[in-house]
Amino acid sequence: MIEVTRLNGSVFVLNADLIETVEANPDTVVTLLNGHRYVVKETPGEIMERAAAYRAKRGLPPSLT
Amino acid sequence: MDLATIIGLSLSLILVVGGIVAGGEAAAFVNLPSMLITIGGTMGAVIMANPMDRIKKLGKITRIAFFSQTPDLVSLVQTIVSFAEKARREGLLALEADASELDDEFLAKSIQLVVDGTDPELVKAILDTEISVLEERHASNKGMFDTMGELFPAFGMLGTLIGLIAMLRNLDDPGSLGPGMAVALITTFYGSFMANIFALPTSAKLAARSSEETVVRELMVEGVLAIQAGENPRIVEEKLKVFLPPEQRKELEERHDNEKGGEE
Repeated sequence: MIEVTRLNGSVFVLNADLIETVEANPDTVVTLLNGHRYVVKETPGEIMERAAAYRAKRGLPPSLT
Repeated sequence: MDLATIIGLSLSLILVVGGIVAGGEAAAFVNLPSMLITIGGTMGAVIMANPMDRIKKLGKITRIAFFSQTPDLVSLVQTIVSFAEKARREGLLALEADASELDDEFLAKSIQLVVDGTDPELVKAILDTEISVLEERHASNKGMFDTMGELFPAFGMLGTLIGLIAMLRNLDDPGSLGPGMAVALITTFYGSFMANIFALPTSAKLAARSSEETVVRELMVEGVLAIQAGENPRIVEEKLKVFLPPEQRKELEERHDNEKGGEE
């Protein structure tokens, strides 16, 4: 789980294992495996770092593949 | 100004009244008590059939049928596409200033929702509810004119009965039978005149306006959701084009070509 920020500044926690794509257009849109989309303030790079850090903390390889 | 309403109303008034005048005896068609029974009676019944605050809006609703304009879908599509381009370049937050400048409250509100980072599903749910409430409100406003359309002929009939009763009481004077019968029938004429020239066409026009507005709202919802999903402006435009009738699609493409010509 990683902390991300909505455009209005509220912070919520996202299940990093469910992330399918992260794209900047230029707002960062995180698409989950279940099709939900979230527009967040963080850059795609930050999301990747946080997701990798979260998986490392659990002793998992940096990504599913 | 809704030209179709004005032209239609004047055309039927001129032809019907013209027909009466051409037939001679125009004076036989003017009878104040009959008018009072038909129009006054119907108005009373309509007021009774509706809640007070809806009655207060009757004038405003009638104006819609006479003065509202067909919405300019082409410009609307262009506005939304320009928003999509801006969101693509500068991010959703850049739309906030544009949203507050919009005349249309519905579009401004939906963009504000998107800028606030509301979930797409929630945005869709809120806007869809708004559309269905709007449709319901329009239907109940239109309902007043439907009621009028039903009641005018009914009160016309009632007036005729009143006239016939008065006439039958004087049967011993055969000379008064003809004129008495004529006066009695005038109310039926007023009733079907008012119903068919005013109430029913107005109701039909309101229904048409309502469905036009619903299409506009649905187009806005589709556009705003596409912007929120960060879709390419070209794709947004293709999505919204679906709502346009073929001639307007052509118009949109022509405006595009003109813009491109200007840039080069």
